[in-house]
Amino acid sequence: MPSTTPKTSARSPRASHLELARQILDHVRARGLGPGAHLPEQALATACNVSRTPVRAALNLLVTEGLVTHTGDAGYRLAPAFSTASALSNTLPQTSDRDLTARILRDRAGRRLDETVTVGELMRRYSAARSAVTQALGKLAEDGLVTRAPGQSWLFSPLPDDPESQADSYDFRLILEPAALAPGFRFDPDRAAALRRAMIGFLAEPDHRLDPRAFQSLDSEFHGLIARGAANRFLGEALLGHLRLRDLPGTSTRLNVVRLRQAMQEHLGILDQMEAGRFDIAADLLRVHLRLSRSQRPQAANRGAPPLFGLTFRAGGPDA
Amino acid sequence: MPDAPLIAFFPEASFGAALNCVGIARELQSRGARPVFICHPGFTGIFADYGFQEYHLPSTGPAQPADYWQAFIRRHLPHFNLSPIDQIETYVAPTWEAIVDTAIAAEAPLAALLARLRPDLIVLDNVVMFPAIARAACPWVRIISCAETELADETVPPYLSGLASDDRTGRAAFLQRYLKATAPAQDRYNRFRQSAGLAPLAPGQFLEPSPDLNLLLAPSVLRHDRATPLDPDQFTFLEGCVRHEGPYELPDFPRNEGPLIYVSFGSLGALDMGLMERMMATFATIPARFLVNAGALREAYRSVPDNVHLEGWYPQPSVVAMADLFIHHGGNNSFCEALYHGVPSLILPYCWDGHDNATRAEETGTGRRLNRADWTAASLSAAIRGLLSDDAMRARLKANARQMKAAPGVETAATLILKTAGAGSKALAPADHQRMARHEG
Repeated sequence: MPSTTPKTSARSPRASHLELARQILDHVRARGLGPGAHLPEQALATACNVSRTPVRAALNLLVTEGLVTHTGDAGYRLAPAFSTASALSNTLPQTSDRDLTARILRDRAGRRLDETVTVGELMRRYSAARSAVTQALGKLAEDGLVTRAPGQSWLFSPLPDDPESQADSYDFRLILEPAALAPGFRFDPDRAAALRRAMIGFLAEPDHRLDPRAFQSLDSEFHGLIARGAANRFLGEALLGHLRLRDLPGTSTRLNVVRLRQAMQEHLGILDQMEAGRFDIAADLLRVHLRLSRSQRPQAANRGAPPLFGLTFRAGGPDA
Repeated sequence: MPDAPLIAFFPEASFGAALNCVGIARELQSRGARPVFICHPGFTGIFADYGFQEYHLPSTGPAQPADYWQAFIRRHLPHFNLSPIDQIETYVAPTWEAIVDTAIAAEAPLAALLARLRPDLIVLDNVVMFPAIARAACPWVRIISCAETELADETVPPYLSGLASDDRTGRAAFLQRYLKATAPAQDRYNRFRQSAGLAPLAPGQFLEPSPDLNLLLAPSVLRHDRATPLDPDQFTFLEGCVRHEGPYELPDFPRNEGPLIYVSFGSLGALDMGLMERMMATFATIPARFLVNAGALREAYRSVPDNVHLEGWYPQPSVVAMADLFIHHGGNNSFCEALYHGVPSLILPYCWDGHDNATRAEETGTGRRLNRADWTAASLSAAIRGLLSDDAMRARLKANARQMKAAPGVETAATLILKTAGAGSKALAPADHQRMARHEG
C-alpha cells in the first residue's frame, strides 16, 4: 500500500506576533518593497507603534516562513524569492485559538458536524477545554455563523460556500459593491499599485501553478480595496464583514484555470478605470464581473435528460 | 484573426463528452483556430467557463415538470442495480427514446444556427446523428467518447452489454433483446432521418461514421482485436483526451494519513446518496484519505467520516494525478483520466458503457469491477486494499501512462481536425507533423 501520509504542522505562534507580522507585510506592500529590501527594526517599531522586541519576534516568524532572511551583518531583509503575491497570500500560520475555530468550521463545511452541536460534543471531539470551545463558538457567533439554541446547543447557519449562500452573496454584492464606488470613493493608490503587481505576477504563472488559494487571497484584497474606499462607513463595514465570511476556512474556490485568469483580467480592467479616476465605469465593470463570476453550470446532466439546475431534494425520494 | 478556422463543437449534454471536447478545443485554440460550442437546451455555462463562445439551442415542446429529476432518480435508481441485459428494457430503451426526441427537437434550430455560423468544420461528440450536420456544407468529425464497443464488430462485445470478449452465448442473447427493445425508437429515428433526407441506419444504429474523420477515445491498452479492422484513413484511435486543470491543494483531513483515493460517479451517480453513504461508512474503516465528489447533494450529507472530504466539484484531472486509486462509474472520460495518470480504477458501473469499461478493466488488468448491487463492506474494503497493494498493476499502469503521455490525444485530435478542416498547413507545428506521422505509422 503506498504511503503518502502528509506532514502535519503543529505550529501555533502567539497571536500578537502573528498580527504584527501581518502589519509588517502590509507595510512592505504599501511601500512596494522587493526582494533584498532592508527591514530596519526601529523603523518598523515606529511604524507599528510597538517596541523593537515584538518586532524582532514577528520578523523571526517571517524568517521561519521563508519571507525574510536574517544575517548578523545585513540585519533583516526581504527574502530573494519574496513577491508581493506571497505577501498577500495566507502563508502565515494560524494561532491556536483561531485554529479551533477553523477546525470547527472545516468540519461543519465537510459535514462532519451536524447542524446542531453541543459544547460537550465539541470538547470531546477536539480534546479542548470548555473555555476554548465557548470562546471559539463566541467568535463564530460574532460572524453570524452560529446561534445559541435552547439548552447547551448551538445551531450553525448556512456557511458562506453553501450554494444558496453563494447565490445570496452574489446578489448582496451586486447591490452594494458598485455603490461603494459612488462619488466620495477614497482610492488607495499605493495599495492598488501593489495589488496590480501581485495580480500581474499571478497571471504570469503557467496553468499548472495557478494556485486557487492565491487567487482567493488576491480576490479578497481586490474587493477589500473597494470596500475600504467606500465613502459611506456603514456600506464599507458591511462589505468588509461579508468579505471576511468569504475568507473563512472551509470555503474554497471552485473555478477552473481559465475562469481564474478571466476573473483576474476583469479585476485589472476595473483597476485601470479606478486608477484613471473613472469610478462610474469601474462600477459598471464590477457589475459585469460579479455577474460573470456567478456559476451558471448545471449541477447534473445525463444523455436524454434536461440538465438539472438547483436541487432541494434528497435523492431516492422519501424512502431513502 | 479573420481566417482562423471556425470549429463548431456539438457535444451531447453530459459532462464526460463536454469536458473531453473542452480539452480538444483548448488545444485548437492554442493553434489559432476559433472553437465555439453549440449547446443542448439548458446545458450551458460549462464552455463559457472555459472561455468559449456558446450558442444555445432553444427549448422546444412543453417545459419539464419541476420534479423531473426527483422522478428520474426515483424511477431509475432500482434499474441501476440490474444486470446490463436487464437494463435494456428498463433504462436503455427509454433513454434511446429520449435521445431520439432530442434529435428531432434540435433539428430545425440546429440547421438555422449552422446556416448562420457557417463553420469550417463540425465536431459531433454524441450517440445520435443530427441530419442538419450532414447537410451543412462542411466536413464533420465524429468523436466516439464512449467505450470502443460503441463501434460494433463481430469480435467486440455488444455496446452496453458489459460482456467479456469471449462470451459468444451472452452476445447472441444480449443482441436479440437489445435489437427488439430498441426497435421502436430506432424505427422512429429512421423515419425522421428519411424525412430529413438521410438514409436509414441498420437495426440498433443511431449514428453513422463520419466520411471525413472519426476519433475514438480508446487507449491502446484497452483496445479490442477487431474482426474487421477500422480503416486508418477514416478512424483514428486516441490515447484518451485528458484536459489540463490548475493545481488542487489537498484539504486538511482530521484523520490525515494513508494513501489518497478519489471517488466520483459523475453528476448522475452523485445523486445516489444512499450508495455514497453506505460506501463512506466503509471508507471510515480504511486507513486512507478519500476525496468524494458529492455533486449537487454535498450539503445534504451528515456525519461524514474524518478521513473523507466532500466537494461538489473537483478539477478532476489534477486530483486523479495525485490519487493512488480512483473509484468511479466507468465513464469513459474518467477511465481514460485514470489510465493517463497511471492510477488503478475500481469501477462500480451503474449504466451505459460503464458496464463495458468495468469488464474491460478486469480483462486488461487496469482495474477491478465491483457490482453496484451486491457489494458488502468486506468486499469493498478488500477490493480497495487489494488494488492499493497490487504493485504489479501499478507498475504496468505507470508504464502505460508514459506511453499515453507521449502521444497526447488532445494534440493528435487537434492536428487531425485542422487537417480535415483544410487549415492544417498554416497552424501545424513541425513537432505535430512528426507526432501525427508516428501515430499513423
